[in-house]
Amino acid sequence: MRLGLVIDLDVCVGCHACAIACKEWNASGTIGPLSDYQPYGAEPSGVWFNRIRHYEMDEYPNNKTVNFPMSCMHCEDADCVTVCPTGASYKRAEDGIVLIDQDKCMGCNYCSWACPYGARELDRSSGTMKKCTLCVDRIYDQELPVEERQPACVLTCPAHARMFGDFDDPDSAVSRTVRERGGFPLMPELNYNPTNTYLPPRRKPVIPVDTQPKSGLKESIKQFANKLVRR
Amino acid sequence: MASITFREVEGSSLKYWMLFGGIGLFVLFGFLSYLYMHHHGHVVTGMDNQIVWGLPHVFAVFLIVAASGALNVASIASVFNKPMYKPLAPLSAILALALMLGGLLVLVLDLGRSDRLIVAMTHFNFKSMFTWNVFLYSGFFALVGIYLWTMLDRNVKAYSKAAGTAAFIWRLTLTTGTGSLFGFLVARELYGTSMLAPMFIIMSFAYGLAIYLMVLVAAYAWTGRPLGDAVMMRLKSLLAVFVAAVLYFVVVYHLTNLYFAKMGSVESFILRDGGIITTLFWVGQIVIGCAAPLVILLSSLGRQRSWIMIASALVILGGIAQMYVTIIGAQAYPLDMFPGMTMKSSFYDGVIHQYSPTMAELFLGLGGVAIALLATTFAVKVLRLLPANLDDATVAKLEH
Repeated sequence: MRLGLVIDLDVCVGCHACAIACKEWNASGTIGPLSDYQPYGAEPSGVWFNRIRHYEMDEYPNNKTVNFPMSCMHCEDADCVTVCPTGASYKRAEDGIVLIDQDKCMGCNYCSWACPYGARELDRSSGTMKKCTLCVDRIYDQELPVEERQPACVLTCPAHARMFGDFDDPDSAVSRTVRERGGFPLMPELNYNPTNTYLPPRRKPVIPVDTQPKSGLKESIKQFANKLVRR
Repeated sequence: MASITFREVEGSSLKYWMLFGGIGLFVLFGFLSYLYMHHHGHVVTGMDNQIVWGLPHVFAVFLIVAASGALNVASIASVFNKPMYKPLAPLSAILALALMLGGLLVLVLDLGRSDRLIVAMTHFNFKSMFTWNVFLYSGFFALVGIYLWTMLDRNVKAYSKAAGTAAFIWRLTLTTGTGSLFGFLVARELYGTSMLAPMFIIMSFAYGLAIYLMVLVAAYAWTGRPLGDAVMMRLKSLLAVFVAAVLYFVVVYHLTNLYFAKMGSVESFILRDGGIITTLFWVGQIVIGCAAPLVILLSSLGRQRSWIMIASALVILGGIAQMYVTIIGAQAYPLDMFPGMTMKSSFYDGVIHQYSPTMAELFLGLGGVAIALLATTFAVKVLRLLPANLDDATVAKLEH
């Protein structure tokens, strides 16, 4: 099994609901708390497993805003796992989720250097490294109804821009969607083989924005006459 | 070959204890800084999610690299069989151990959870370069310790060359490992090159010898023992060669990067637009760390001991600047997740990360330097590490 997320960049509206839901679930989950620094200060910051980035593609008038949620990619060949000296970072054989054993992490932060996606989150209060767990404490919870055994971010997304599933199963919804929509992993050239996949944004027709030349008196009379006739 | 007498430093004068106390004060400040950072967490430092290795690591890596280089003089004596360097070898070995101790202490105390150091000693991931370094550092202590023992104990003196050769090979491997901590990382643009391993080795030669020279001159001046120019001239020429080699490696490293179009942006950051990083590169690393010492050492100024000391101090300062540029500079430059595109977003993309070290970080780093100096100061008092006389006549006899 290879669990991961599909994120539809065409649909994501950048509302940050997934980030909030992630923080809410995980702050009270097995890995929490996720520290906040100066939450009511001038520059609040803190530990977030899921961060939404906003990019502007091309120049006006051909521009398009792309909202890009980013969290741990749960790579097949995760360099953060390779470099961890104590083995605190590990990849589960049964479902491919990359986790950090909070009791074995000594806060050397070396994994943060190795992750090319910047997905590692240094908790400066606990002194350990943290990251997306794919809500491992949710997706296997037998107490929850089956339809709720999904990561918090997937459940909460109002635009249904996020999907969760098994990429090893060619008939799973995530595998089919990736096939049909031409899903792509981020930075495949590094060969870390990230599990999370993005669906590309569709191109929209360009809205003409050229200013019309100012018409003369003759043209104005003609337009006025046309308007009357049309009535 | 003439024999030479080694004698402990008496260490009972007020000057000695004032020196001991002064250095001890910095050790205390370092320890207090550690307690403060450990109690509150790294949230009280300038480090954050982008800059995860800060100023303490700059000092730690500098000291570890310098430790390997400080063993140089001993290696020349035993491995390359140069009799003139033999009396200088014990100090070289103890300094190497002391610098390694200081560097490792800073490294360990700057961990997010330094109380879990035992985990690093009981759980190993052998794919990690960090793990290899744990073994390289431990092995360094063991091998240099044995080497020192063979130098100090007549009963095992016969094994000195073998121990020295083993320590020499080990220290080259160690510095290769330290350079590879960075060289094996592909995510940061400035790393991911095997060039860093040999560059760190040559950096270690320069930093270690500069520190050795300063300690040697200070020890002889403050104890009133004669130290001839023959030793000084030989060592200062060696320092000049090492500094020139560091400069060569730095130039080749950046020229190679500049040749690759994809590296243009990160090189512009280091060489032109990086603010404090650029200043530290040109003023700290190049001018203070390389150009100025070379001018001093290769000109007539290099014949005067005070100028050799100034050159050594400049090499040390330049070395710290070089480590700062290497460690902080690489983190300050944002990750390139969309190669070939200009990134702007609400989350630090395309933005140079700012880092302002706090006083606690500075004093923790200086505490490591102080530990190294304190250990050396104590060692020369209790062990026979320093020859009683190193004037030109005595040294000349050694070579015949």
